[in-house]
Amino acid sequence: MTVQAARLDAVPPIVLEVEAAERRHAVDFRIRFIATWVAILGIVGGFLWITVGVNLPFLQEWLPFILGGIWITLFISVTSIFFAVILAVFGALGRLSANPFFNGAASLYVSIVRGTPLVVQILFIFLALPAAGIVVPPLPTGIIALAFNYGAYLTEVFRAGIQAVPSGQVEAARALGLPESTVMRRVILPQAIRIVTPAVGNDFIAMTKDSALVSIVGVQELLWRAQAAGRPTGQSFQTIIVAALMYWCLTLVLSFFQARLERRMAAGDRNR
Amino acid sequence: MRHIRSTMGIPIVMVVASLLLVACSSAGSASTAPSAAASTAPSAAATTAASAAPSTAASTAPVAGGLLAKVLAAKKLVVSTDPNYAPQSFLKSDGTFEGFDIDVATEIAKRLGVAVSFETPSWDTITAGSWGGRWDVSVGSMTITVPRQKVLDFSPPYYYTPAQMAATTKSGITTLDGLAGKTVCVGSATTYQDWLQGKLQSVSLGPVLTPPANVQVQTLDTDQACAQAIAAGRQDAQGFLSASTVIDSAITNKTPIVKVGLPVFVEQLAVSVDKSGPPDADFMAALTKIVNDMHTDGTLTALSQKWFKKDLTTPPSP
Repeated sequence: MTVQAARLDAVPPIVLEVEAAERRHAVDFRIRFIATWVAILGIVGGFLWITVGVNLPFLQEWLPFILGGIWITLFISVTSIFFAVILAVFGALGRLSANPFFNGAASLYVSIVRGTPLVVQILFIFLALPAAGIVVPPLPTGIIALAFNYGAYLTEVFRAGIQAVPSGQVEAARALGLPESTVMRRVILPQAIRIVTPAVGNDFIAMTKDSALVSIVGVQELLWRAQAAGRPTGQSFQTIIVAALMYWCLTLVLSFFQARLERRMAAGDRNR
Repeated sequence: MRHIRSTMGIPIVMVVASLLLVACSSAGSASTAPSAAASTAPSAAATTAASAAPSTAASTAPVAGGLLAKVLAAKKLVVSTDPNYAPQSFLKSDGTFEGFDIDVATEIAKRLGVAVSFETPSWDTITAGSWGGRWDVSVGSMTITVPRQKVLDFSPPYYYTPAQMAATTKSGITTLDGLAGKTVCVGSATTYQDWLQGKLQSVSLGPVLTPPANVQVQTLDTDQACAQAIAAGRQDAQGFLSASTVIDSAITNKTPIVKVGLPVFVEQLAVSVDKSGPPDADFMAALTKIVNDMHTDGTLTALSQKWFKKDLTTPPSP
């Protein structure tokens, strides 16, 4: 007969039961949650299918052209967020700077760009600048406008992120005798980047939707193509819904990857 | 620190990989060069037009820094067009353009010995001039008017259309005067808008009728947008004024409108070039010769028959 000694770290049975019940509840919730989505979308979709209908021959002809715009939407978004982040780092350093000129310039940038609508900024670059002799083609116009616009918002995010780095880190770095620039480059910014990544990811996803505004200056991205296909043929119902669905799918895919990135970045913080 | 650096590496790699992936996969259709090709349709349109034949304009060397030199050096004529102006120009599902104006522009580029590519700016930015070099010419059924001549240089007319008024069948209007006090839809910055507002300053080749009294003007981006709004059942406008070619095409497509009255004026439509662009004297000389040649050798007549089923390229007798 073997006697199993009680292990000091054994979990009491009641805890196991409670955990199992919580897991069952979580799964139930998830199932019902998804069922609700399917039901609502199914009812609304079915209603639209029956009343307005899906024009399959039209979609067969025009869908490849419309979907081709997704690449340009992605290109615009990726390029813009890249430059926006660069602008935001400089902007945040300016906003935190003791130098009144850098601080003033950065603050003015943030104030003006956050204080004017994005569509006005796009049209300013495209329609107003030519009077000053600066003519920017449509695609760079969109990228520049989006980069400046999101750079201003991200400036504030980065500033908050830098300020959120525990002051103990900065004090310790200085106590070690590291020069100020090294403190910023090697201690503060890397930790700040971890803090701001969720916000930057959110803004990137938001930017993929804002990129639709660039269609007003003629860039042939997703929304432009949807309108170009739908208006002349009277099939705007089909094309606008296709465009909306594509933006939604893009958001879902990007959100999924962002969640994974956040989990990966926070791995050091979780207690396992 | 190593952990933090590797997590920084992931977003950086993602950004760079996305850039490369998107840039490579869209190499044909989304050029990133900050040139006028940024938003043109894929190169199918360009490959049909290029020919190696010496251009008719190369007999004398083009002025350095002029528009002709620019076009010949780039081996490409950038033409502004409308993706929603059937049957003059419209977008096909493969991303290329089709229509009477498209064919005329392609032929002009061919005779210059260069390829053609198309841009799609809004009509009101084309008629305003100051194109900033974004495109070289407008082949867009543009009427020659006095205000436009202040900012644009025009070729000889390549065709002529009567401006025709139409009324929605729902409104029950059958005469021009029946539209007094009603709303008429027109394309923005068109001569039809000018005529309705009593401001038309073009040389008409026929009588210019008086616009209906107290007419309300509704402007949409382009003429076809009016036809499409009416076809979609919108009741904002009871009338629709545009070129007879557009009206005929709308009626063929079962838009619920009927022609009302005689043509209200006849317009001369020409190719235009921005005055504030590079010096264009030699370009205009070449363009004038090409347009006149296309008239005499029957090219324009053939295209007109193809798209309008009638010859609109001879001036109507007054």
